[in-house]
Amino acid sequence: MKVSLKWLSEYTQVPSDLKAFCDRLDLTGTGVEGIETLGEAFEGVVVGSVLTCEPHPDSDHMSVVTVDVGAGEPVQIVCGAPNIAAGIKVPVACVGAVLPGDFKIKKSKLRGVVSCGMCCSQRELGLGSDHSGIWILPEETPVGTAMAEVIGSGDTVLDLEITPNRPDCLSVVGMAREVGAMYQQPVTYPLADDVAKLAAVTAGEDVAAAVTVEVPDSERCCRYTARVIDNVKVGPSPDWLAERVSAAGGRPINNVVDVTNYILYLYGQPLHAFDFDTLCDGDGRVRIIVRGAAEGEHLTTLDGEERVLTEDMTVIATPDRAVALAGVMGGLDTEVTEATTTVLLESADFCNGRTSRTSRNLGLISESSMRYERGVDENLTELVSQAAAALLAEVSGGTVRPGVVDVYGRPAEARPLTFRIDRFNAMMGAAIPADFIRDILVRLGCAVEATDEAAVLSVLAPTFRPDLEREIDLYEEVLRLWGMDRIEPTLPGGRERVGARTPEQETLRLVNAVLRASGLNETMTYSFAEPGDIERLRLPADGLGLAVELLNPLNADQSVMRQSIVPNLLRSVAYNQARGVKNIQLYEIGTVFSAAEGRKKAKERKKLAAVMAGSMGDAAWNAPAVPFDFFDGKGVLENLARELALPKVRFRALTADEAPQLQPGRAAEMMANGAVIGWVGEVHPLVCDAFDAAAPVVAFELDVAALVKAARPARDYVAVPTFPAVVMDQAFVVGEDVTHEKLMQVMASAGGKLLESVALFDVYRDEERVGAGKKSMAYTLTYRAADRTLTGEEVERAHGKLVAKVEKACGAEVRG
Amino acid sequence: MAIAEELAALRESTLAAIEAAADSTALDGVRVAVLGKSGSLTGYLRSMGSVPPEERASVGKAVNEARVEVEEALAARKAVLDAAELSAAIDAAAVDVTLPGRAQQMGTRHLINGIIDEISDIFLGLGYKVVEGTEVETDYYNFTALNAPADHPSRSMQDTFYVRDLSGDAARVRGESDVLLRTQTSGVQVHTMEDWDLPIYMVAPGKVYRRDVADPSHLPQFHQIEGLVVDRGITFGDLKGTLDYLCKQIFGPERKTRFRAHYFPFTEPSAEADVSCGICHGEGCRMCKGTGWIEILGCGMVDPNVLSMSGIDPEEYSGFAFGMGVERIACLKYDVPDLRMLLEGDMRFLRQF
Repeated sequence: MKVSLKWLSEYTQVPSDLKAFCDRLDLTGTGVEGIETLGEAFEGVVVGSVLTCEPHPDSDHMSVVTVDVGAGEPVQIVCGAPNIAAGIKVPVACVGAVLPGDFKIKKSKLRGVVSCGMCCSQRELGLGSDHSGIWILPEETPVGTAMAEVIGSGDTVLDLEITPNRPDCLSVVGMAREVGAMYQQPVTYPLADDVAKLAAVTAGEDVAAAVTVEVPDSERCCRYTARVIDNVKVGPSPDWLAERVSAAGGRPINNVVDVTNYILYLYGQPLHAFDFDTLCDGDGRVRIIVRGAAEGEHLTTLDGEERVLTEDMTVIATPDRAVALAGVMGGLDTEVTEATTTVLLESADFCNGRTSRTSRNLGLISESSMRYERGVDENLTELVSQAAAALLAEVSGGTVRPGVVDVYGRPAEARPLTFRIDRFNAMMGAAIPADFIRDILVRLGCAVEATDEAAVLSVLAPTFRPDLEREIDLYEEVLRLWGMDRIEPTLPGGRERVGARTPEQETLRLVNAVLRASGLNETMTYSFAEPGDIERLRLPADGLGLAVELLNPLNADQSVMRQSIVPNLLRSVAYNQARGVKNIQLYEIGTVFSAAEGRKKAKERKKLAAVMAGSMGDAAWNAPAVPFDFFDGKGVLENLARELALPKVRFRALTADEAPQLQPGRAAEMMANGAVIGWVGEVHPLVCDAFDAAAPVVAFELDVAALVKAARPARDYVAVPTFPAVVMDQAFVVGEDVTHEKLMQVMASAGGKLLESVALFDVYRDEERVGAGKKSMAYTLTYRAADRTLTGEEVERAHGKLVAKVEKACGAEVRG
Repeated sequence: MAIAEELAALRESTLAAIEAAADSTALDGVRVAVLGKSGSLTGYLRSMGSVPPEERASVGKAVNEARVEVEEALAARKAVLDAAELSAAIDAAAVDVTLPGRAQQMGTRHLINGIIDEISDIFLGLGYKVVEGTEVETDYYNFTALNAPADHPSRSMQDTFYVRDLSGDAARVRGESDVLLRTQTSGVQVHTMEDWDLPIYMVAPGKVYRRDVADPSHLPQFHQIEGLVVDRGITFGDLKGTLDYLCKQIFGPERKTRFRAHYFPFTEPSAEADVSCGICHGEGCRMCKGTGWIEILGCGMVDPNVLSMSGIDPEEYSGFAFGMGVERIACLKYDVPDLRMLLEGDMRFLRQF
């Protein structure tokens, strides 16, 4: 909200140190978002008289003028305004002047013609929005006068952020009360004086004779008052009124509308002026009904827009039509025009919630709706109407009909509260004196009385402060005006607390560390997904549930919540590849969502997904670039298995039917202790295509809960060997269908206790030497006993038995 | 020639040969030729039987002296040659140490999670627990239980993502739903107060969603860290002290904090906390829009309504809560020019942190 300090200072003292004032406003809860200084920026801007005006020789819209600025020779200026002419008086910014926006005036050439200054519009001087042409000043204005003098002394306008709980501050009077409390200084309230002026301009028949108001539903409108002003002459406002409206950020329109806006800015009570005659039925009577809009009802608002209404909106209507959108904007065909002679003045209070929703649903936020949605004091509605009617009559030469039509459903009452001073100080960690507390509450408009207990106050909160509902609300008032900066910072000293991570958090920390040590970079992608992402990924849908659907997505390709992290990771692969980044190692731990028919909240599961494309690094002088394949993905999972001490880890080959998202033959399921942890493999080339990623891309996606469940926090100690081992290399030629896993199982069971470990060191294929459809698998076998040095015979016997079993069980041949 | 003379000559020539040996192979050749099985000096020892007995003692002595002398010369020369060869080998093995090393690529933590880790660790150190909530939340936990009025503008379709409710319940407001993507982590406060035993000291980092079109300074999905303390005797001073400690830990011990009164529905009194600008140190610059302060978080004493709704007696317990935007801290600490970079997965961005 914009507040003119000149206006504010009529009611309370405004500190001269602007910076300190703004800081104090900020700290006490009124944010200062902008400071606009009017007048100050006018140094070097003077009144000039245009002597000659010729068209620019080289432009069809500019003119070259000579201007007498009251000192020295007339200056030559190139001017582009359409309304420039010889003989008029205009504001001239001379060379050296600085205009608002840090715009410095310099001597320059415009299309070859020298220009020594600028003729200004109102907007260029920061005085308003009029930029239709230069500002033509009254003929009698003396040449050479500083513009600051012409406009009057400078004013400063603050743009204030009023929090939604403080509707009272959306008015100059409210801000005066706030500033008075901030500095504990007196405030003069103008309402009583303004109301007193009404008697002098009252004339004619009682308003009730011609106007009736019906409010069938007081929930929609808790108070509606109507007054009528006759003999109105609509015309421009007096300067003081137009100036006030401008300073508050409004645009002067005519004396009637300007009065309603002036009163709105001053007291925070929205008003609406109707042209009485447009509301009348045949015999000069007005019947106003405040009702719900009919579904689909049309109303053309003041801004010329035709609005289609819904039934939760409230309208002001006559028996035949809606004439205004309650609390938001008036209707076009009942607005005050130059032909208006009688005005019906509405001062009302409409339901906060409905007004808020109506204005938001229609995209129509007005000064009125903004105040209604925060709350207007219905107790002042009628008094402010008196002040407004008196002023309207005064500036338009009219008279006010006696009386008022006032429909007031359920009068608001001040709320009685208590203030326990000791509890307050205990909760704030402060020792704020009782005198200060009492003084602040009174200055804020509360009635404060002592009670039987010395440290307890009885407080009556005013109706213009709907936010003061409870004792705690009063605490906030006193604390902010005492100053939060005056409270000593301390740390809570509570007992019975320890900081600790949950087992899942501990495991995830380790998982993250392992993934980083494996060279993967953590990323984050959107939790939103495009419908059909799962089909595009060709991921089997079992167990995924229904996609969680957004009712109001930002766009169609982000209209559901993801069921897998992999699609967006593949998009990140494509994003990098499109920018020439070939080596990509990304992982994300995040939530996936699934809905189910009949269930309110979606189920959320944490997944860990990764994609790897290219290689770990570019070829280096001492290391080749090894392209990623299945085994790089599997290797990361093996690192995880080792660090999390996962028991009985198995990788089971997945068939094309089981994992259509992966390239058949390069797809596996990771299991621990018989439970499925997730899948790993090379993404199917057609899936890569669907996401514009270049294959091969290695990916895996694990279920974090399964991983955490399988992880073991502790490991078993195995004695470090003290006796020497016997190491034997042994190659077996087997069919292609015999897996490493199978060979390992047979060797482990055949080797018995003496076989300590087996490691695969070579896989060799050669049609001539090994045979077609066969492979040679070479293993290093380590034999050792824990309690003695093995003899040659013992090892020979054990190894012979092992070889024989492998030959028998796997159809293996020993390769020499 | 007498044996003594022969020995003397052999001694001379051998010592000369040793001195002349250019490398250990040549030296070894000399050794074998003189002291080997069929070496020339060995020959004299073997043929001692043919030496007249009266000369044996003197010849034997001379041969032994020659042998000792030769062995010493051999050892000395070997030491010289070994040193030279080692030195040559070392010279030959020298590398350009500015060549890149053989490193295993280390992955990186995402900037946002890095900040969440840092802040979580600070609070773990203060005796807090770290909690997570769900991202799909009901209207009750996101708004109602946090004292947000039924018609609060933040509940509108413009600001909140609503989710299709498959339970069959009808929505209170047309077009909306009881189920939504949480717009704040504050709902975790309510779950914690309902589910935990007192006292409560917790922080809740997490993803939140608001219906803002992605641009350099907005994302429809971002992160907050919520904090909540509920205990006997918690004061506004405790709130200030805790957040002052936090800001100094994150931004540096020289930074100051200030608290501006503000409004939030679920705290009372409420404040916004600012940290002094790290660029101008409070003088005022473009970074802080001339104020010398940078807004960092919202906070306040937990509203008694919120405590009561969760079954906690506000006469016995009090508490404070705070919430901060993680992306905002990332921007302040690392000057990220465009928030969308946080979600693009660009390797060139991610590998910087």
